[in-house]
Amino acid sequence: MMETLLFVSGGPLAWAGGKTPVAYPAQFWDQIFNIWLVIAVVIYLLVALPMIYFMAKYRYRKGVNEVGAHEEGSLGIEILWTVVPLIIVIYLATQSFANYTQQRTAPADSLPVKVQGMMWAWSFEYPNGKKSINDLYVPVGKPVKLLLTSTDVVHAFHIPEAKTMEDAVPGRVTTMWFQFNKTGDFRAFCREYCGTLHSMMLATIKVVSQEEFDKWLQQPS
Amino acid sequence: MQEAVAVQTPWYRASFKEWVLTTDHKKIAILYAVTSLVFFAVAGLMGMVIRLELTSPGMQYVSPDFYNYLLTGHGAVLLLWWAIAFWGAFTNFLIPLMIGARDVAFPRLNQLSYWFFFSASILVLITLIPSQNIKMMWTGYPPFSLHDGAGPTALYVFIIWLIAGSTLGTGVNFITTVLRMRAKGITLGGMNLMVHGLMASIVIQLLGVPAFVGAVTMLFLDKYIGTGFFNPAVGGDPILYQHLFWFYSHPAVYVMILPAFGVFSEVISTMSRKPIFGRKSMVIALWAIAILGFEVWAHHMFTSGMPDWLRIVMSYTTVLIAVPTGIKIFNWAATLHKGAIRFHTPMLFTLGGIFMFLIGGLTGIPLALPSFDIHVHDSHFVVGHFHYVLAMAVTFGAFSGAYFWYPKVTGRMFPEGLGKASFWLMLVGSNIFYFTQMMVGIAGMPRRYADYPAIPEWVKLNEIQTVGAFILAAGVLLTFVAWIRGLKGPRVERSPWGSPSLEWTTPSPPPPQNFDKLPVEVPPGWSPYHYGR
Repeated sequence: MMETLLFVSGGPLAWAGGKTPVAYPAQFWDQIFNIWLVIAVVIYLLVALPMIYFMAKYRYRKGVNEVGAHEEGSLGIEILWTVVPLIIVIYLATQSFANYTQQRTAPADSLPVKVQGMMWAWSFEYPNGKKSINDLYVPVGKPVKLLLTSTDVVHAFHIPEAKTMEDAVPGRVTTMWFQFNKTGDFRAFCREYCGTLHSMMLATIKVVSQEEFDKWLQQPS
Repeated sequence: MQEAVAVQTPWYRASFKEWVLTTDHKKIAILYAVTSLVFFAVAGLMGMVIRLELTSPGMQYVSPDFYNYLLTGHGAVLLLWWAIAFWGAFTNFLIPLMIGARDVAFPRLNQLSYWFFFSASILVLITLIPSQNIKMMWTGYPPFSLHDGAGPTALYVFIIWLIAGSTLGTGVNFITTVLRMRAKGITLGGMNLMVHGLMASIVIQLLGVPAFVGAVTMLFLDKYIGTGFFNPAVGGDPILYQHLFWFYSHPAVYVMILPAFGVFSEVISTMSRKPIFGRKSMVIALWAIAILGFEVWAHHMFTSGMPDWLRIVMSYTTVLIAVPTGIKIFNWAATLHKGAIRFHTPMLFTLGGIFMFLIGGLTGIPLALPSFDIHVHDSHFVVGHFHYVLAMAVTFGAFSGAYFWYPKVTGRMFPEGLGKASFWLMLVGSNIFYFTQMMVGIAGMPRRYADYPAIPEWVKLNEIQTVGAFILAAGVLLTFVAWIRGLKGPRVERSPWGSPSLEWTTPSPPPPQNFDKLPVEVPPGWSPYHYGR
């Protein structure tokens, strides 16, 4: 169990150690995850522990504790537990705002790639007109900006390593960006339900060196 | 006015004809409860097939299309027939009793509302025919729902129309009842928190359902008449549907949880023999959630392609909901302080429900943050989170309420041992199930996947979930056994739990005219939570 727990928090812990994530902008997600997790665990304990203590201490005991006290409320403490949570959630939303801006803003030197979702495959088109189906070739260490659309129904493009996604909507162009820092093959998933083979609508992100990428880009489709 | 049929017979001696023709709010409540429980069982079984299929990668038991149907059915039926309709039973049974009324304001309309609901139930059964499988998920997003692969969209639309008829009839009826038929001495602020919870939920439905009906009606026109509201091929906008849909369907989650909050308040106060802590702030918080609930819908659309500024605005409004919700949890915890706590079955379900709602709430906060949602949107993290809220907080609340008022409805006591065993199995099972579900979501597993690649961590976490699901199912089964066996249990007095609330001052089960003496009147300073004095 512990092993699995560590696996799930593996990414975030890596961020805490200052390591570069496999793909950007995952570090912003890792950061908000950590902040939330700490706050959530603290709040959980602050509520759950007193509750468990009260449940044990004030349990019904025949002849000893049969009727509760007549306690209707306390203005001071009620104001306290209105104001403190308000401050916490406003902080969280603001921290999220700051992170989100960076998760959504592609660096100026990004490589633009047009993405088309269709039932049930992905097609990619590069600036020079080169096309590929289900294989998204990208150079390592270079930011990529995806311009998403769809030919039929709503799809969504999710890259687990980059911890980012966006819907591909017919009749619209939406955007997202990422950058891989490691070569290799990675999966991308369709994340918006699109029918029978929704769960088969996977693309492979092939992260290669810049030279290899340039060579591939010049080959005819 | 025509006299309602056989008003002098208690419900358990009613003939088939009386059940069909009844306008008695208590019998209609039982009709809602039984219909709801049948569909709860069916949709639960659908969920078990889904769970079995996901245990390991590859398709083992069903085809992807049938899997998609099961998922649609599991979601739609548990939301509409369980998490909303089961509260219809509480609304019908409790509101007139808690406010000291003889029946509802419009008994015939109440009867009509139930039979609308019944008709919708028949249409749901039609979807079991293979050619009529609806496979567009309960959300029915276009353009997919305009596509032939989605199944019969018309059937989905008709179901929503009938349900809406039922909901709106109930809404008008009970709002009138509560405003006009309270016994002398009961003020709006002095009503039971359960009545406030049910009322807030009804008001949300009355305000929100029309948007939902409008959305599915446009869907119907798009698909069958060729209009272009949502169809991008003729210049429509699919995102417009999402806005209209979530404008009601997000507040709908408060329709499901606010009555559970009502149950938690009634049970925790009665079983601790203490007035509910901060009662006024409880009422304000409840209505604040109902109002705020209408300002947050687009947090379901953080990755939908709508403008980024709207995502930020909706993230701020959404996190605000945590404040009134927090107030309620803190007040429940404080109610335990210096109480004399009796751990009967309803109390166990209430405490379990509050603990689980705490987890459901704390895992809901990051989903309100776009920078967090961007990775877990449409993943199993979302599914795990809303199962903590719906399958645990709402269902534990519903079970708690059903156990709590079981002696009032039936006049008999259920077997406590079975009830407690059921609670512990459900608590353990669902935590194993839904906690691992959230973990696999953070690990990246998308929701609504009939199949998934054999990533070792995903497989392991899915296996654990299935174990939890079977423990949970065993727990639910024990509750069904307890409720059936309880029908032959020992007879009870008027108020077996020792609550002074109005519904407990009348015999169990209540006579057809509800109270011994009409009209009901309460003394000045009366409170349903009059403990510790």
